[in-house]
Amino acid sequence: MTDSRPLTAAELAAENAHLRQQLQEAEELITAIRTGTIDALAVQAPGGPRIFTLEGADQSYRTLIEQMNEGALLLSQSGTVLYCNACLAGLLAIPLESMMGVAFHDFVPLDYHAYWQGLLTTGWSGKSKGEMPLISTDGRMHPFAVALNVLTFEHTPVLAVIVTDVSAQREISDIQAQVAEQNALLERQNETLRSQAQAQREAEQAAAETTRILEGIPHIAWTANPEGHNTYLNRRWFDYTGEDAQSKAQHQFGALIHPEDLPGALQHWSQCIGSGQALEIECRIRNAAGEYRWMLGRALPSRNEQGEIIQWIGAYTDIHEHKLAQQRVAETQQQLRENYEQLTRINRDLDNFIYTASHDLKAPINNIEGLLQALLPELPAELAASPSVQPILAMMQQSVDRFKRTIEHLTEVIKLQKEHEQPAALVDMSVVIHEVSLDLAPLIQATGAQLEVSLGTCPHISFSEKNLRSIVYNLVSNAIKYHAPNRPPRVQVRCHHEDGITVLEVQDNGLGLNLANTQRLFSMFQRFHDHVEGSGIGLYMVKRIVENAGGRIEVASEIGVGSKFSVYFRRENA
Amino acid sequence: MPKLSRILLVDDDQTTNYLNQLLLKRLDVAEQLQVALNGQEALNLMQDYGETAATPQPMLVLLDVKMPVMDGFEFLQAYAELPVSHREDVVIVMLTTSLHPQDVERVQQLNIAGFLNKPLTSEKINDILQQYFH
Repeated sequence: MTDSRPLTAAELAAENAHLRQQLQEAEELITAIRTGTIDALAVQAPGGPRIFTLEGADQSYRTLIEQMNEGALLLSQSGTVLYCNACLAGLLAIPLESMMGVAFHDFVPLDYHAYWQGLLTTGWSGKSKGEMPLISTDGRMHPFAVALNVLTFEHTPVLAVIVTDVSAQREISDIQAQVAEQNALLERQNETLRSQAQAQREAEQAAAETTRILEGIPHIAWTANPEGHNTYLNRRWFDYTGEDAQSKAQHQFGALIHPEDLPGALQHWSQCIGSGQALEIECRIRNAAGEYRWMLGRALPSRNEQGEIIQWIGAYTDIHEHKLAQQRVAETQQQLRENYEQLTRINRDLDNFIYTASHDLKAPINNIEGLLQALLPELPAELAASPSVQPILAMMQQSVDRFKRTIEHLTEVIKLQKEHEQPAALVDMSVVIHEVSLDLAPLIQATGAQLEVSLGTCPHISFSEKNLRSIVYNLVSNAIKYHAPNRPPRVQVRCHHEDGITVLEVQDNGLGLNLANTQRLFSMFQRFHDHVEGSGIGLYMVKRIVENAGGRIEVASEIGVGSKFSVYFRRENA
Repeated sequence: MPKLSRILLVDDDQTTNYLNQLLLKRLDVAEQLQVALNGQEALNLMQDYGETAATPQPMLVLLDVKMPVMDGFEFLQAYAELPVSHREDVVIVMLTTSLHPQDVERVQQLNIAGFLNKPLTSEKINDILQQYFH
């Protein structure tokens, strides 16, 4: 319509009717093509009408194409849709009649224009394939596989395009991927199960090995799970308790442990389960004969590589005899302790008695002496001096003196007991002997005694100096006092080592002693001779001093020849 | 030698008191001698002495340790609680025969002039007078 003149209403109506006619013809044509009623069509071309024959396209093929589930279309060289089957129209949600004559290009997303152009180019040169989305009329994109083939109709090439919806395939591949993933997961789980089973087998083997070992040991052996429940008992248990090994009943330790030992045992066991510390208990367990025997129960936790307790392995050892022996020792020790305490008490009482006695005796004897002295001035001088009264007064005074001396000796003994642990020092023996000889000078002079000292290799003795002087004093004074009347006393003081022990000897040529009862010799207030002044306390004191310091005293004597006292001092650092 | 106005002898033993009185009289060291047979009697006397000027406190108390009713230690405890006026210028000397280390230690810790071992002798009396009343 190059003419620019406005058309009249009649002309427009005629044009409209013409166009409607053309549309009618086109639709009929399409229907005819689709249904196969026509085999060829003529198209008005600039060079005259051209006839398009649908080569080999008989009705059955067309029906096939119309019925198939892939989209099919024919494109002209300009990319115009010459033909399209119902499937493709459906896929693109477009009325079939609207497809004809449109540019297929319009259904290709902008991003794929170049790709589509590439496919077209390749397709026109023979065939091509690709995958790309197409846009349906509702604006949604769908994935498609496209296959392009050049066909020739009456020497005119057209491009046949088969369009396959691949969205379903995509879903399948998604599902397949999921299946694969699921399968892989299953495989991994199976692998885990297999390794667990292997571990289980190994654990069972280990347990079986443990059991085999535990069956072989000569003690009751058991295992328990980490919660403390018994899982195994070896044959010894059943031998000991008389329980039936085949019985499925739960073996209750509790029922066989002595009721007195049970609470402590259970408490300790639960502590061990909680802390993982080794179990060690002593308890009595009843045997098949109904007798309780002492058992030492020990258990250690067995741990895996992670340090978790996997089981407890324990054993019971019969310690009955040992325990009874222990109890007997404990009882004996208790007895000894009681005896010791009793002796200590008696000793203390005895000390107190001596204190009290000396105190209580002192007051009256002092009074008697005082009264005696008070009486003397009251007596007429001639009476006091008379031969019948004077000796009586003298004897009274002597008795009082002796009484007082006895009390003094008792006091000495008390002091000695109190000085039990005098510190030892290295004492120069020659000094001690010299001092003692000075103290005894009147006695030595009176008797004409001869003192011979030979200290040899031990000029020093480690001892309490005061006590050592007391020993030397008593032994030397005794040696002089009890001299034989027919010869002057000769006293030898010697020192020597004997098996590393220092020995002090005091030997005299005196009266000698009857040694039938040496025990009595060293007792308190024992006197073997009564012709000289003596209290009978000296040797007792010497013995006490020596023995308190861990040494001993020996005596050798012959009547009429003399005596020898030997003091063995305890070896220092022995 | 000074002569003391009053000496108090505290001892449950009558013979000891008799002999001590005899000794003190012979030495003629006191105007008055008084005897108490236990700590309680002595305490009563000490309380009374302070009440009137006519009965002055003893200048010297010779105190035994072991006595019935109230012993020497108990007496000293009670005596320490008397008003100061009752205790001024009083010399207390303990007389003891006890050898028990505990007793000796206890006596040594007491707040008294001194202690002596029995029996009382003229030498001991002279020592006391020399030491405390010279």
